[in-house]
Amino acid sequence: MSGNYGHRLEFGTLVTPVNASPDNPVALARRSEALGYDLVTFADDPDQPAHLDTWTLLAWVAGRTDRIHLAANVLTVPLRSPAVIARSAASLDLLSGGRLELALGAGDRGPDGLAAVAARGGARLDPRAAVDALGESVDVVRAVLDAGDPDPVHYDGEHHRLDGAPRGPLPAHHIPIWLGGTDPRLLRLVGAKADGWLGTLDPAEPDAVRTSNKIIDEAAREAGRDPAEIRRLLNVTGRFAATRQGFLHGPATGWVDDLLPLVVENGVGTIVLTTDDMATMERFAREVAPALREAADRALPAPLPRTAQRGRAVRVKRRPGIAYDEVPASLADRAVEPGDIDYAKVRSNYLRGGAPGLVLRPRTPAEVADALTFARAHRHLPLGIRSGGHGISGRSTNDGGIVIDVGGINGIEVLDEDARLVRIGPGARWMDVAAALAPHGWALTSGDYGGVGVGGLATAGGVGWLARKHGLTIDHLRAVELVLADGRVVRASETENADLFWAVRGAGANFGVVTAFEFEADEVGPVGWAQFALDAGDPAGLLTRWGAAVEAAPRDLTSAIIMGPPRMGQPAVAQVMAMVDSDDPATIVAQLQPVADVAPGYDQQVVITSYASVMANASDAPHQAQGEPISRTGLIEHLTPEFAAAAARLLASGVVYFFHIRSIGGAVTDVDPDAMAWSHRNANFHVTAFGRHRARLDALWDGLLAEHLRGTYLSFETDLRPERLAEAFPPRTLARLRTLKERYDPDGLFRDNFAITPDTASRTTP
Amino acid sequence: MTDYGHDLLFGTFTTPTVQPVRQAVDLAVVADRAGLDLVTFQDHPYQPRFHDTWTLLSYVAARTERVHLSANVLNLPLRPPAVTARSAASLDLLSGGRFELGIGAGAFWDAIEAMGGRRLSPGQAITALEEAIQIIREVWAADKPGGVRLDGEYYRVNGAKRGPAPAHDVNVWIGAYKPRMLRLVGRVADGWLPSLPYFQGGPADLVAMNERIDEAAAAAGREPTQIRRLLNISGEFASTGRSLLNGPPEQWAEDLAGLTLEYGVSAFILMADDPATIELFAAEVAPATRQLVAEERARAGR
Repeated sequence: MSGNYGHRLEFGTLVTPVNASPDNPVALARRSEALGYDLVTFADDPDQPAHLDTWTLLAWVAGRTDRIHLAANVLTVPLRSPAVIARSAASLDLLSGGRLELALGAGDRGPDGLAAVAARGGARLDPRAAVDALGESVDVVRAVLDAGDPDPVHYDGEHHRLDGAPRGPLPAHHIPIWLGGTDPRLLRLVGAKADGWLGTLDPAEPDAVRTSNKIIDEAAREAGRDPAEIRRLLNVTGRFAATRQGFLHGPATGWVDDLLPLVVENGVGTIVLTTDDMATMERFAREVAPALREAADRALPAPLPRTAQRGRAVRVKRRPGIAYDEVPASLADRAVEPGDIDYAKVRSNYLRGGAPGLVLRPRTPAEVADALTFARAHRHLPLGIRSGGHGISGRSTNDGGIVIDVGGINGIEVLDEDARLVRIGPGARWMDVAAALAPHGWALTSGDYGGVGVGGLATAGGVGWLARKHGLTIDHLRAVELVLADGRVVRASETENADLFWAVRGAGANFGVVTAFEFEADEVGPVGWAQFALDAGDPAGLLTRWGAAVEAAPRDLTSAIIMGPPRMGQPAVAQVMAMVDSDDPATIVAQLQPVADVAPGYDQQVVITSYASVMANASDAPHQAQGEPISRTGLIEHLTPEFAAAAARLLASGVVYFFHIRSIGGAVTDVDPDAMAWSHRNANFHVTAFGRHRARLDALWDGLLAEHLRGTYLSFETDLRPERLAEAFPPRTLARLRTLKERYDPDGLFRDNFAITPDTASRTTP
Repeated sequence: MTDYGHDLLFGTFTTPTVQPVRQAVDLAVVADRAGLDLVTFQDHPYQPRFHDTWTLLSYVAARTERVHLSANVLNLPLRPPAVTARSAASLDLLSGGRFELGIGAGAFWDAIEAMGGRRLSPGQAITALEEAIQIIREVWAADKPGGVRLDGEYYRVNGAKRGPAPAHDVNVWIGAYKPRMLRLVGRVADGWLPSLPYFQGGPADLVAMNERIDEAAAAAGREPTQIRRLLNISGEFASTGRSLLNGPPEQWAEDLAGLTLEYGVSAFILMADDPATIELFAAEVAPATRQLVAEERARAGR
């Protein structure tokens, strides 16, 4: 007895793709969706001129539906190139938002099917070779869809040969490959390779499902797979009647009785109703499917969580030391591990290549708490917390550890229109925030790049294009909700857990996972936005003049300068950007002029635009970084001639490929240094350098620049030496942080992003 | 001066990029709403940065209302003709007669071979294209008796059932530059679909190529007017005129009307990946070009 395989019971329809009235199959598909079916499928009979081409129909139906999953039943592979099938499948999966499933067949519906394939120009194969060719097609499709692997596909089969075909595109979800057919060779192929078997119920052969399952299960075990990896789908046909006339012919209750053993005893996970009749489709959906699901639920244990159902191909890529099968149920469905299709999208962040062992993607504070519970049981592994994954320090991914990705907690909501109070999830990106606030005439100063997530930046500082006018991002924070290391969900503000609120604003990464931020936004209308390309032939002079011009400018103006290494035969050019928080052209020009005049210009562009359009500068593509970012960073009050000379020597070394100074000062200095953990209120500039060699950059930075700097901003720092923490937090601040660390995270769960050591002096020795 | 007298068509040639996933779809919807006649996508099935063009065309057809759709041009070597014929008829039926078949012999043979396709020489590929068009037209001829048979050098079809027939007379447009391909256009195609940026001599190259097509058409007993001349164009909108298709919309209209009246081009397909350009092309260039051409044709008594 094969029993049940623990899959969630699903229902589908099988529709004939007749072309006489092409709207008909489309209408049946839309009706299937409206009735709550999980799946709509269409036959693919290449020798049937009365039918529409099934792939074309699937893509069309994807464009006319929103939720239902789609598959051929089954796609005749021999007439198509498997590599093209794979790319087409990825495309349709992307366009449909992850709704495509691939059911493939060898075209071997008896000798007629194979002859029809040959008649249409396909290879003439005997049934055995047809199954072999299908097996190769599965390999090819899988290989092309495995877009996370950078190497091109080389496949040398008997029927199919690929020689260096690039992989991809990456589909939206793991597209399961189901195989249809009854030939024992095909069933063994299912056991060895497929994600599912699609059979057709023949009432004359009641034992066929059981015997097919037996062959599949044996082949699966031989291949080292758990038979439960393989979903069993069954096409069924029946007729409703007032009284029972026979198998699947009678009242709905009789259908339930007939189908239940197939589910409970023969492990059928998907029942596909073959019908072109809307009334039958509707009656099945309303009367049979819910009753059958209920009866099956009564008879069967609860389906296993998805992490426990992952197949052998996924399990072999698991990393040591992670209890994958114990991922909390609330997180299991969205968890991503190295063998999963989504892994390529979540492994890395903006600047750092990563290989985490598990990425958890909670959507609520309770799920964050579950994730932290899991993380507490894995303290032997690195733990990264990710919102947008942009952080230059690169702490939001790791190698072999756990990442808690709160990107899905990304709501943006106005709490109080008059007070301009907004509530924002950590996973929102600043370009989305800017776009959402713009219609209100508001903005929140953030960073300088729209792809940065709210969570990382708003727990660290937030040095952005409105800094001199409106301060740091954290200066606008009125309250947070966060999950602490022990899983408690707390609120912190000036009046609730005030010490925690103090710590979160600058050292948040050490204290918890913030799940909601409440900010007071500023009224910001159109802004002036300038980009200058200036002669950097005298880098030291340029830096001092630019620094002085910025410090002398009204607070409306915030600016940044980017310089690079000398390039043979090319003039040295600095890029200067500036935002002026004013919509008056005369004011904008007057404030920009002194900045533009610091050196001869090569090019300039000044526009009046919105803060939101300046921030709309990031793509939606997943992060694909490789390697490790190498940066140093620090804060400085004035760009003195001594600093500028040192910076010029640093640039001349060629060790730094990107040198970036952003203005702070202005409104940032209005805040009491003790008001929050971010204490460097006298800094007027933030300096960052990127290099390619850790030791060379450190040596030059430590030797040339460090003496001029006072304090640092950890989000841009990749140096892990302990001195960095002391630079980020002055002694009094650090002492208070250590006391609070002892109170809120004494075991140091949050230790992978510049760990503050708890002050254990108050601990009582046991 | 060659004007074949066709009504003018205006369309887009949009990159079928997979990232952002829906960009090509959204731009097609823009073109449809702006009233353009045609949306086209290049087809490079070996290129994972692009959507599969057939899938994209079918999906876009479902999301648009009036605009016609074509590949620009379909990569025959990776798309077997019997399946293509049925797929094309199906899409034409589903879309209510909005599909046209732009097709090419294939290029980038290394990439085609890497995908498991068969490498052909340029000459072989032309023969293969002619065989494929024959098969496709035979499959579409649903009412003809008997199955489709073709014992070609590159494609063999042995009694495949005919049909379905498309909803309308689907145009077969061929991308072509070299003499043998141009002769094939003259013999069998409903349209010729080259790209202006590929002409080293600019629009003047159209003269000799048109002549080759016309000669081949005449030799096959066809009228040159049976072959529409389409053209992929690229350009830039600017406030002052700088060069061909680089200037204000009025200048574009004059440039395009010139291409119609002097070189016989009657379909302009603009390479564009941003909505503003597509909307400007539809709202200002297309009507002004139509007007200029109509006036000139009326003046010339055509």
